[in-house]
Order: sequence, then structure tokens, then C-alpha cells
Amino acid sequence: MRRYWRCLCWALALSLGGTAAQAQQRVVIVSSVGSAAYATMAKSMVEVLASRGVVSSDIVQLGASQMAARLQSALSLQPLIFVAIGSEATQLLSSARLSVPVLSTLIPRRNFERILQSAGRVPGSQLNALYLDQPLRRQLALIHVALPQAKRVGVLLGPDSAFELPRLRSLAAAKGLTLRDAEIASSDALFAGLHRVLEDSDVLLAVADPLVLNTLTIQNILLTSFRGRIPMVAFSQAYVRAGAALALYSDPAQVGRQAAVYVLEVLRGNALPDHAIEPDDFEVEVNQHVARSLGLSLDAQALRLTLRRLENLP
Amino acid sequence: MRAFVDIRARLLLAALLPLLVVSTVLVSVLLLARLDDMQQSYDQRNRSVASQVALASEYGLFSVNQSQLQAIAQGGLRQADVRWVAIVDGGGQMLASAGDPGNGLLHPMNPLATQGFDVKRRLDWFTQPVFAGSLEIDDLFEKNTLIEPKPRRQLGQVVLVFSRHAVDRRAHEMLLAGGLISLLGLIFGMALAIYLSRGVMRPIQRITQLTERIGRGDFEAVSQMRQHELTREPLQALQSDIYRMADRLSVAREDLEQQVHLATQALLEKKNEAENANRAKSHFLAAASHDLRQPTHALGLFVSRLAQLPHDAQTGALIDNLEASVRAMQHLLDGLLDISRLDAQAVQVNKRPFPLSVLLHQLTQDLAQVAQEKGLRLRIRQTDYWVMSDDTLLYRILLNLVDNALNYTERGGVLVAVRPVYGTGLVRLQVWDSGIGIAPEHQTAVFAEFYQVANPGRDRTKGLGLGLNIVQRKAALLGHPLQLASHLGRGTRFTLTLPTVAADLDAPALPALETTSSQELFDVLALVIEDDLLVRSALCGLLQGWGLRVIEARGLSEALEKVADGTMPDVIISDYRLHDEHDGIAVIGRLRSELGSSIAACLVSGDTDASVMRSARAAGLTLLHKPVRPAKLRSLLRNLLQVQSGSSLVDLS
Repeated sequence: MRRYWRCLCWALALSLGGTAAQAQQRVVIVSSVGSAAYATMAKSMVEVLASRGVVSSDIVQLGASQMAARLQSALSLQPLIFVAIGSEATQLLSSARLSVPVLSTLIPRRNFERILQSAGRVPGSQLNALYLDQPLRRQLALIHVALPQAKRVGVLLGPDSAFELPRLRSLAAAKGLTLRDAEIASSDALFAGLHRVLEDSDVLLAVADPLVLNTLTIQNILLTSFRGRIPMVAFSQAYVRAGAALALYSDPAQVGRQAAVYVLEVLRGNALPDHAIEPDDFEVEVNQHVARSLGLSLDAQALRLTLRRLENLP
Repeated sequence: MRAFVDIRARLLLAALLPLLVVSTVLVSVLLLARLDDMQQSYDQRNRSVASQVALASEYGLFSVNQSQLQAIAQGGLRQADVRWVAIVDGGGQMLASAGDPGNGLLHPMNPLATQGFDVKRRLDWFTQPVFAGSLEIDDLFEKNTLIEPKPRRQLGQVVLVFSRHAVDRRAHEMLLAGGLISLLGLIFGMALAIYLSRGVMRPIQRITQLTERIGRGDFEAVSQMRQHELTREPLQALQSDIYRMADRLSVAREDLEQQVHLATQALLEKKNEAENANRAKSHFLAAASHDLRQPTHALGLFVSRLAQLPHDAQTGALIDNLEASVRAMQHLLDGLLDISRLDAQAVQVNKRPFPLSVLLHQLTQDLAQVAQEKGLRLRIRQTDYWVMSDDTLLYRILLNLVDNALNYTERGGVLVAVRPVYGTGLVRLQVWDSGIGIAPEHQTAVFAEFYQVANPGRDRTKGLGLGLNIVQRKAALLGHPLQLASHLGRGTRFTLTLPTVAADLDAPALPALETTSSQELFDVLALVIEDDLLVRSALCGLLQGWGLRVIEARGLSEALEKVADGTMPDVIISDYRLHDEHDGIAVIGRLRSELGSSIAACLVSGDTDASVMRSARAAGLTLLHKPVRPAKLRSLLRNLLQVQSGSSLVDLS
């Protein structure tokens, strides 16, 4: 009897294994090119997956162009989930009619929405994204924690970020902060808007918008805010290096870990969430020089811990 | 001196021209390069200032901070050479400006940096666009955007105006410096060239002067120049060579002079010898002819006397032979006499117009018989021409020529003719013969003394060979060119060219040269003064044979004795040289004064001395030379007697 039972188990295991062996490409990671962050993210995701039992042979990593070639040549891949890293990969995968769920990562929200619009798709469990953008409440929380004396928060919005305004207003009110906002339609009005915002704010909250914040404008905005002795809270490490006082961002590794969780869920047979996924882990960066010149003493780690505690996270 | 200027000029030119060219080229090239560099660095500096201002204005333009921009503009103005700064926004509106608006200018917005130059105001303007500086940030948000990268946005532009004043000034300074340096270099070069050239010029000058003086023959120049000799001078070798050459030239010249002197002396000696020999010859001739004269004279007279005496045919023939011999001898002696007189330059030329016909007539008379005897034809063509010449000499020439012609012709004849030379007023008196002719090689030699073409044995019946020599000399004396043309075996032609004159019918007619009548001399009393016995007796006998009465005297004293009794001779014939040392002229003169009348007189002499003839002429006396031809004497006597009765006097000697 026991022998019989053992044989059965073996057969089952084999078949399972066979099944498992058959389902080789379980995860396909398509990553865009252009930044080392993508690779970092992919690496950390793979690590996590590996630690959870997904063997490396189950994971296929492709570049966007390779993927495009595959799609064209109709060499079909039938994984359980596609992970797109970056806008390029996301656009590729979204325009290809795939029957498999696609998780888009390291993509700004606005970009993702635009891609979906152009592809004519709607976000859902088949196609979802782990946004790059930090939740606004977290950003405001940071402001509250880092700069408790700052009561007025200035934001400069452009056409891509204008939709955030209502939420910002409500969140700020909830936190007891006054929002000073300006919206600009063209780059010529940038300084005017900025000036208007800055003259009535204690802190400038940077909101990602290509019209407002780009390589051509960042320097001047930083300068202006610095001259106004108004610290800028930015959304990327690069901004802090450029001269912003504070930044709240997600490390690619953190994003990779988070994405791995969703991938595992899908591998277990669950679906992706159908709502936008915000990053749950983050980093805080402080530009000590700028902070000192502005008369602030900030400790990045302490701020992070505080924020995590506020979010009831370790 | 012009030569020196040329050489010096050349030297200087050779030194200066390359210097000039090189220095000019160098200075100009370097200056141009430096000016170019300066301009470039100025431009670069200006551009960098504009860039700086543009950079500085970026934020001000972004933030439209006019005060900041104004500050920046002012700062820009403080830069070197900046005259005006303007900062213009994207719309072309000037946000800030600094500097004198008079220097300002505005240009349309242009994304490209531009510059320009206002020549009139000497201002450079630069515009620099101001772009929003891009800050590359490695931001995922940025990377994720699918919008095309934005073009650089021009925030505005800055305009700067610079003044060229400083640059121009520096350029002028550099030009001046360059010019000054090259000028100094040139001057230095010229000075050096002049100094060096002088060092070369001086020896050249000296040498040129030296050679000039040597060329003129001034050899002392050499010794003078030696004093200037210096060592270590340029052209030292040349100078010493020239001195050596000059020395040698001088020595050579002295040698030459010495040789010339010696040669001249030798020649002088030879000349003296020759002259002496000539004089000796003349002396000899004179002496010989004189010594021979007396006996020949006497001989002739005696023979004539003999002929007067009755004789038979045989004696007559003998007398004829004697006469012929005597004539020959007298002829020879005449020749010698002529020569010696020509040598003594005692022949006097008496040119006057006379008709040739007279001479030709006489010629016929004299030589017709000779021609006849030889069986030759003697044709003498008469002519109406009158010539300007000495008739006596001319006659002698003619006589000689025709005589020669007859001598040297065996058959045929002799022709004497006169032809005019058209257009010249001259006539050619020609003597043609059909004789043996004269070979071309002898045609010059025949005129030489004692030269006879075909007389190797010196046959004296053929003459002495003096005839043509005498003819030539007489023709030369008269100034009538004499030409000879001859063909061996065919004949000879002598031509004498005479000047014609118009016939002068008023001229005194020439007296007849000779007649045969002796009537006029009959019963004439002649006084003969001769110291030689033979000659005296011969002469007296002859005169008596002609019918004259003769008074003899040996000398002056005897003559005076003989006429003391009042006898008046009609004519006096006196020997010139009388042994009591009175000469014939004095005797005649004395006699004439004693007798109180200018009696016709003549002299007979063996002397060919020119002084004798001159004295005779001076005294107005005719002089006959021994040996005297009786016929001549007779003619003379007739003439003298005619003159006494008023006819002209002719010297027939």
C-alpha cells in the first residue's frame, strides 16, 4: 500500500514537474533601455523570485527590441506574466494583444495612462502598472515631518499634472497645509507661475510634469527656489543632486521587490490587482549643503523611518 | 670719377638691396602675422566676454529680473574695450543696457551668434544668444517621457559693442616699431656697406689712377703709389701686382727708349754717310765735269776751226767723225753738267707763257737730220697752244725724250703731239715711239741715275743713262707730271702734262733760237779774256773764222792795256775764273767802267757752282758753260749784239 502510495506521489510529482517543466517560461521580463535602473530593478525582482522558488529558467529577460522581434516573428511566448520595465517596454507590450497579464513597472503614471490611451486599452488586471510616482499623501507627510514650520505648500502644475490638483488640495487640507498652486500652459509662463507660487509658499513640492520640470528648466527652477530660500521637495534622487533640498523616491531595487510579489501572486494563479499600484517602499534623500544654506538640519534616514512608522510599516 | 660712382653705387646697391628686400619682407610678414594674431585674440576675448555676459544673464532673463540684468550689463561694461551692453529678451525687447547709447545698435534675434564691424565708428559688435542651460539629470521621469526632446529654448540675447580703439593703437605702435626697426637696420646696413665699400673703393681708386697715369706714360706714379702701400688691405694682391707690372713697364720703356736712341744714332750715322757720299759724288761730278770742261771746250773749238779751214774730202770725213766724237763727248759732259747742276739746285726756273709751236719747230730743226740718218720718221705735230712753263728747260726735256726715242727705235718713227685734257685747262705733250719698249720691271728704274736697260757693256755711244733722270728731275722742278707707258717690242710713250694759258700776243716773242747766217758777226770787235792758252787760241781762231776781229787778253790788266788806247770792243767774252784771281764779272765790270759804256758781254765758265750763276745773273751777264757749242756761242753773240740794239735777252744755257 505504502509503495503504491509512494509511486503515485512520484508520478504526480513527475507529472507536476513535467507540467512545471513544460511551463518553462513562466515570467518574461521585457525591459526598456536607457537607464541602469531598469537592470537593477530586474535583478532585484529576479532575486526575490528566486528566493521564492522561481527558478531562473522560468524567467526570461528580454530587451524591448528583442521582444518586438519575437512578436513579429510570432515566436510566441506563453508565460504566465509579462513584466514590462519602463515606458518603451510597456508601450510594446500594451500594443501587442497579449492574453497574458502584463505588469508595467518603473513608469510614471501619466506615461502609463497615455500609453493605454494610445493603445486603446484600459487598465485592469490584464494590464496594470506599478507607478513610479510616490503617493501624494506620502509626499505631504514628508513635508509635514521634515519641515514642520512650513505651512504653505507651493506646486507648479503643467498640462500633464493638472489633474492632481483636487487631490492635492484635499490632502493638504487634511494635513493642515495651505496649497499655493499655479498652472502654466507654456514654458514662457514658467517663471511667472513659479514666482507667483514661490512668493507665497514655504516649500515647493515638485510635481513631475515634462513642461515644468525638464533639463532646460530644472536649473532655473532650483535657482529660483533657492534664491527664494524655499526648499524644494522633489521626486527623484537626481533632483537632490541638482540642488533640491529633499527627495522622496523609490529605489529600483525596492520596486523590483515589490513587483516580484505581484509576479508571485500571478504565478500562484491570482490575478493582478485592477487598481493602480503605488510603490510601498521608498527612500528619502537630503542635500545637506542646500539644507544647511537654507538653515535646515535634516536627517534622511530619520525622516524615512518616521514616514514608514506613519504608514505602519517597518 | 663717374666710374667710381658706378662701382661704389653697385657695391652699395649689392649690399643694400637684399637687406632692404629681406628686412621689408620680414618686417611686413611678421607685422601682418602679429596684427592678425592680435585681431584674433581680440575677437576671441570679445566673444568670451559676450559668452560670459550671456551665461550670467541666463537666470536674469529667465526670471525677467531687470535689476539683475542691469547689474550684469554694468559689469559687462567694465570689461576692457566694452562700450555698450544690451540684454534683450526672447521677444526682442531690451531689458537692460549699459554704456553710451551713441555706441549702441540692435540686431534682429538670431539663434546663431553673430558679430560685425562698424567701420566708420570702429566698433565691433557681438551678439550672443542666451539659452536655458540644460542640466542633465538622470531622472527616470525624464527618461520615460515619450515626447521628442525639446529644442533649446532661446531666452534672449546679449549684444556687446567693443571699441577697436585699443587694438588700432596697438597696431599703430607695432607698425611704428616695425618701421623704426627696419629703418634702423637699413641705416646700419648702409653705414656698414659704405664703410666696407670705402675700404674696397680706395685701393680700386688708387689702382685706377695709377693705371691712368701709366697709360699717359707717367711712370713716377709707381714710386709715388708705393708710399701708400699698406698691408692687410683688400685687393692687396692686386695692388702689388699692379705695382710690379708698372715697374716692369717702366723698365721696358726705358729699354725701348735706349734702343730707339741707339737706332736713331745708327740711322743718323748712316744718313750722314749717305749725305756725305752724295756730296762727294756731287763734288766729284762737279770737279770732274769742270776739269773735263776746259780741254773739251778747246777741242770743240779747234775742231770747228779745223772745219772752217779748207780740206779735202777725206779730211772732211775725218773732221766729220771728229766733230761727231766731240759732239758725243760734249753731250756726255752736258749730261754730267746737268746732273751736277740739278744736284746743286742751281737750276733756275723761269716760267712764262709761250707758244709750244716755237719749241716744236726748233725740235724739228735739231733732230730731223738724226731721224733721217737712222731711216726713221719724225713727225712733230704743230699746235696753237700756249703754255705756262720755262721754255729752255722744257726744250731740254723734249729734246732728251725725242732723242731717246730715236735712239731706241729701229723702225717706224717718233711722233710728238699735243692733246688737250678736256675740262682741266691742261695739255698733254706726248712723245710716241715704235721702238723696243721698256719692260714693266724697268719702268721705274729707267728714271734712276746711270741706269740703262740694255747696255751691259756700258757702250758710251749710248749715253750715260742720265737722260731720263735729268728729264724727270727737270719735269719735277717745273711741276709738270711725267708719265711713262710702254710695251716691250711695240713702243713707248712719254706724257708731259702742261698747263695752258691764253695766247698772249703781246708777250715778247721768243727770239729765233738759231740761224745759220753769220753775216751779222762780220767785222765785230770782240775782246776775249781767257787765261788758258789752248782755249784762248781755239776761241780766237773760231771767232776769226766767223769774221770777227779779236783782241786777246790773259787777264784784267792785259785787257785794260789793250783798250787803253781807246779801242772800243763790241762784245766782251770773258772766262769766269781767271788766274790772277779776278773773276770774270769783276773784269767785265771794270772794263765797262773804264770804257764808260755797258758793252755787251758774256761769261764762259767751267764752274757749275750755283753762286757763279747767281752772280752772273745778278750782274746781268749771260753765262755759258764749258764746253761751249760754237753754234751756241754764235747765237749768243748775235743776240747780245741785237740786244745792244734793243732786243730781249734770253738765257740759252
